Amino acid sequence: MNNVIVLVTATNGLLDAASAELLTIGAGLGPVTAVVAGEAGDALVAEIAQYGPAEVHVVSCPQLTDTLVVAKAALLVDRAAETHAGIVLVASGLEGNEVAALVAAKLGAGLVTDAVAARLVDGELAVDKVVWAGKYTVTATVAAPIAVLSMKANSCTPAFVPAEPAVRQAHFDYTATAPVATVISTEPAAASSRPKLVEAGVVVSGGRGTDGDFAPVEALADALGGAVGASRAAVDAGFAPQPLQVGQTGKTVSPELYVALGISGAIQHIAGMRTARQILAINSDPEAPIHRLADLSVVGDLKTIVPAVVARLG
Amino acid sequence: MKILTCVKYVPDAGDEVGFDSDLRLGRTGPSSKLSELDEYAVEQALRLKATMDDATVTVLSVGPADAEVALRKALQMGADEAVLISDGAIAGSDVFGTAAVLIAAAKHLDEVGLVMCGMSSTDAGVGALPALLADALGWPLLSNAAEVSVEDGQARIVRTDEVGTRVVTAAPPAVVSVTDQSGEPRYPSFKDVLAAKKKSVTTLGLAEVGVSADLVGAGAARVQVTAVVRNPERAAGRVIVDVDGSSVDDIVEFLAAATK
Amino acid sequence: MKLLLFVVAIAVTVAVAVTLAAVALFVRGALTLYRRIAAGAPSPGRLGPVGPRLGAMITEILSHRRFSARPLVRVAHWVVMVSFILLVPTLAIAYVQVLAPDAELPLVGGWVVWQWLLELFSVGGLLAIVTLFVVRLRHRSDPDDAAAARDWRSRFFGSTRWQAYFVEAVIAVVLVCVLVMHTLRSAALARYPETAADGGWAHYPLTFWAGQLFWNLSPAALDAGISTAAALKIITSMIWLGVVGYATTMSVAWHRFLGVVNVYARRERDGRPALGAATPMLVDGKPFDIRDIDDLDEDATFGIGSIDEFGWKGLLDFASCTECGRCQDLCPAWNTGKPLSPKLVTLALRDQAAGGAHTGDVFAALRSSGVQPAGAAEAGLVPTVINPDALWACTTCGACTDQCPVDIEHVDHLINLRRHEVMVKSDFPEEFGSLYGNLDTKGNPWGLPPRQRFDWAKGLEFEVPVLGVDVTSAAEVDYVLWVGCSGAYDEKGKKTTRAFAELLHLAGVRFAVLGEAETCCGDSARRTGNEATYQGLAVQNIETMAEFGVTKVVASCAHCLNTVGREYAQLGASYTVEHHTQVLNRLIREGRLNPVAPPEEERVAITYHDPCYLGRHNGETSAPRELLAAVAAAPVVEMEHHGTQSMCCGAGGGRMWAEESLGTRINAARMDEAVATGAATVATACPFCSIMLGDAAAGRDAAPAVTDVAHLVLAGVKRGLDNPTQPKTED
Repeated sequence: MNNVIVLVTATNGLLDAASAELLTIGAGLGPVTAVVAGEAGDALVAEIAQYGPAEVHVVSCPQLTDTLVVAKAALLVDRAAETHAGIVLVASGLEGNEVAALVAAKLGAGLVTDAVAARLVDGELAVDKVVWAGKYTVTATVAAPIAVLSMKANSCTPAFVPAEPAVRQAHFDYTATAPVATVISTEPAAASSRPKLVEAGVVVSGGRGTDGDFAPVEALADALGGAVGASRAAVDAGFAPQPLQVGQTGKTVSPELYVALGISGAIQHIAGMRTARQILAINSDPEAPIHRLADLSVVGDLKTIVPAVVARLG
Repeated sequence: MKILTCVKYVPDAGDEVGFDSDLRLGRTGPSSKLSELDEYAVEQALRLKATMDDATVTVLSVGPADAEVALRKALQMGADEAVLISDGAIAGSDVFGTAAVLIAAAKHLDEVGLVMCGMSSTDAGVGALPALLADALGWPLLSNAAEVSVEDGQARIVRTDEVGTRVVTAAPPAVVSVTDQSGEPRYPSFKDVLAAKKKSVTTLGLAEVGVSADLVGAGAARVQVTAVVRNPERAAGRVIVDVDGSSVDDIVEFLAAATK
Repeated sequence: MKLLLFVVAIAVTVAVAVTLAAVALFVRGALTLYRRIAAGAPSPGRLGPVGPRLGAMITEILSHRRFSARPLVRVAHWVVMVSFILLVPTLAIAYVQVLAPDAELPLVGGWVVWQWLLELFSVGGLLAIVTLFVVRLRHRSDPDDAAAARDWRSRFFGSTRWQAYFVEAVIAVVLVCVLVMHTLRSAALARYPETAADGGWAHYPLTFWAGQLFWNLSPAALDAGISTAAALKIITSMIWLGVVGYATTMSVAWHRFLGVVNVYARRERDGRPALGAATPMLVDGKPFDIRDIDDLDEDATFGIGSIDEFGWKGLLDFASCTECGRCQDLCPAWNTGKPLSPKLVTLALRDQAAGGAHTGDVFAALRSSGVQPAGAAEAGLVPTVINPDALWACTTCGACTDQCPVDIEHVDHLINLRRHEVMVKSDFPEEFGSLYGNLDTKGNPWGLPPRQRFDWAKGLEFEVPVLGVDVTSAAEVDYVLWVGCSGAYDEKGKKTTRAFAELLHLAGVRFAVLGEAETCCGDSARRTGNEATYQGLAVQNIETMAEFGVTKVVASCAHCLNTVGREYAQLGASYTVEHHTQVLNRLIREGRLNPVAPPEEERVAITYHDPCYLGRHNGETSAPRELLAAVAAAPVVEMEHHGTQSMCCGAGGGRMWAEESLGTRINAARMDEAVATGAATVATACPFCSIMLGDAAAGRDAAPAVTDVAHLVLAGVKRGLDNPTQPKTED
């Protein structure tokens, strides 16, 4: 039986959807120990319990905020040793992938980052990863005794399996054995009333075709209760901040509905949104590659069409 | 101080790629080149060098003999010297095998003050290498930097992610990785291209950097690829040409159906 | 009498003194200019062969053909020019006439023909200079008040006003003096019976009549009048000479001398403007060749980065500028509010060569239009003398060079400046970075896989033979079809390639393509200054074509036509390259294609947009028009700018690949002209133009359809095949 460690994260005390997915994936692989690095209130623990973990470890660690990733990785290594884990799951992302790498290095584990599925086949862990701008899915098995995976958001639908996990409060002190980097200032990401980009059911993204005016993009996102995204070109041009970037070097999204406004559809962008269930594209260039994969393609001026649509959605 | 910049020779992302029967990316079909994300690392290394008195930029790659192409490009951009670790035993390595070679090379070369990396490779896309290098070398990790500088003996980065925007510092030696937000890589001038013709690429084998063949290659890989499936292409849907807002009804109807 | 003698004495003294001073100043100015121009880098091949060059020079100057777009100015300037030449000898005799008012030029002085010529051109010259003065006043502009749109649009915006007014006033005064002298001389002769015949209308056809008014003056008074007028003429002329000698950047005046030399030393000996092929990049005076890269000197420099790196012909160009502003008037960049004016760039470089001081008007125009950025203090021409935004705004459409009456080679100069920015400084608009990367690694500007280059032919009902695959040698076919990157990768371009291939097939023409072995011709790289990338591509294509013995090529892209047809010759490879409109035109004439016009009720008005690289750069404006007339059964409706006066679509000079963030969009301005014709279809003959105009049409209501001529011809031919009974359109 593989013991599974899942690193759980929360925003404003609420469980992140990506973490709910990890708990569901973990539950399919073995008994899950959900690890919260830092504080967790009763409400969060109760929410975690909805997804069937065997245990919940809330581990405080004073070094989390002033080191970049090393303390968090060491904390997970500590938990993995404690629970004799065979599988460690974290959410994909700049930080998630680094944590996974460091944990794998310390545990001598096999590592797969940005996985989209994990399952046991005849007791062996098989992991899927989408590569090459979404063109191929590669399946790999982990030969090492321990596997560390970072999982892309929207890889599964979280399943409610209410459980009554044992809840443990623990403390972990990170002591550096080698010099580490120091975080000297943190400016928290601007709070947004919109859903998180990677978790949203609706994503409305703007590209260079917005000519720098994201007002129509935001208005449509709000009318649909969705998140705002952007193409690399729009981010490079300074139209939108980098955390909103969808694509190979930004976020991968997989919403029910993806709206591409003034986005031509370079392969690097498509790699980040091709698994959306429905795609609407509005672009004045009839030859834009985005039109070749959108379910509804509108060739026209987004600056006039989008406000009219928003008005109709009222 | 030597700024050691790790670069990868990868198949071109725009090309149609295929997988060989051994489930490795086919290197014969598409043209290969210096990974675009590693060009950012070379660029930042060169910009750092320009702000420092005694810095040199060495580019380092692990790969087949053809990978010299990637190193040549980095030399044209302005790197001072290039080292290629090439050995038949390396083929099929996973990220740990590659890391083992790079770590050994970093120790083999003198006076390395910074190891620079791109945020990820454009082919395998693991994104783990910088962390592995820092861990094994016992150096601080300054990763996914949108800005890098070295001032008063301190390396300083600005990193923006889900957490927010953080400023992180460490004293060299350190490992730095940079994102594609760090600044567009330069296109080498023809003068630089001419100058690069005079620079040479040093090729070393595993034994020369002191890496045991047991640590690398498919045999040492902790992850084995068992299957590769081509994903179905999305088909184009309906295309309508908007004339004076004529598409609004269709769009509203589509949105209503999609968000039901 | 004493008074008269006194006047004469004063006149003589002043005339002599002014002459001495003026000649000294002028000689000094001429020597300064000579040294300044001679200090330039070599301009090989610009002095000989003497015969053809003299012939071309004389033809161009006497015909004033560069003025063809402005008939009134053409006549007026021609008359002024001839009168200037005629009056030089009369200035010489004027020195004698101050003392001996009855003196005449030896040999021709009393010759009726000479006298008629003189009279005609004096009066004509006076009328002409007044005309030119009025033209200048009507277009007057004050660069200090650039907010006024009228000023910005004027072709004289930034031309030094006082210098032009001064030059024109001098001409007027001198001509008035000549006429006064003639009038008084006629009076002095005609009032006495024994000399009446010499002073009659036969000798003074125009001034005789005015002379009658002065018959009652005494001979002495008349003589004094002539002396005074002669002195005034000398003094005025000499003031001009002195001022011009003092002000070596007063090129509106110097063009009378330097312009002649400049026209003689023109790039194209046969009299064409310096268009078509771009000038070779010289390294140490020799054309750069990428194949000799290993022989390059370590300190070799590329392009032009400082004023002394210009060849002497370039420096002569700047010194010859008449400031007439015809280049500025037709510049698509300037007319859409970008900081590039070919004239202002020329003036900035002229003044830089002279030490950097500008006249007030030039200074104000350079700064207010942004040609020269305020406050820059870096070394090198860019960005201190020329704003990078101006340098990179050029579409190399060639309207400036085509218009220039003194053969200034604006496009070549801008390309040479760009070469330095790219090849030495690696400093260029960001978008070109990916363009170059794509060209270097993929051989096409989009960065698409080379193996998709032949995808355009998929699904055609006939086979397109590929050299090296289906055909072993180009000798087996009539033409090699050069597809070009747009024709191979752009959706619109692919459709045009297919249409043209179908036409060749229908006409039974044997043709083949290079398939995946073709690579970008290199036009965008070359015109943005990346000579290394251009030559890398060119050499690759030349080697491929040599392998198959290619000699006859047809291209549907005007840029490929120009590059493969004209520029590869600089690398030693010569082909006969025709444009697809030329080949189609011939096939129709030979009866191998028989297009039929649509039925009367379906006919629509068609306007034609001349691609710059087909029309201005390669002189082909009639073949596409004839084709359109044949398939539409009506002549094309012309836009305001057409033929060699056409306006660029905005894509040339590599601008296809760059954002157009300054001013308004060139393609939109061009579409305005197309819309104004009322035509339902805009036909063009270049994929870049199709893309740019198509984009401009997409953004507006009721815009005309944009299509390549090939599609219209194919539709006509298909109509003919469907209804073979209908008469051919030529009938």
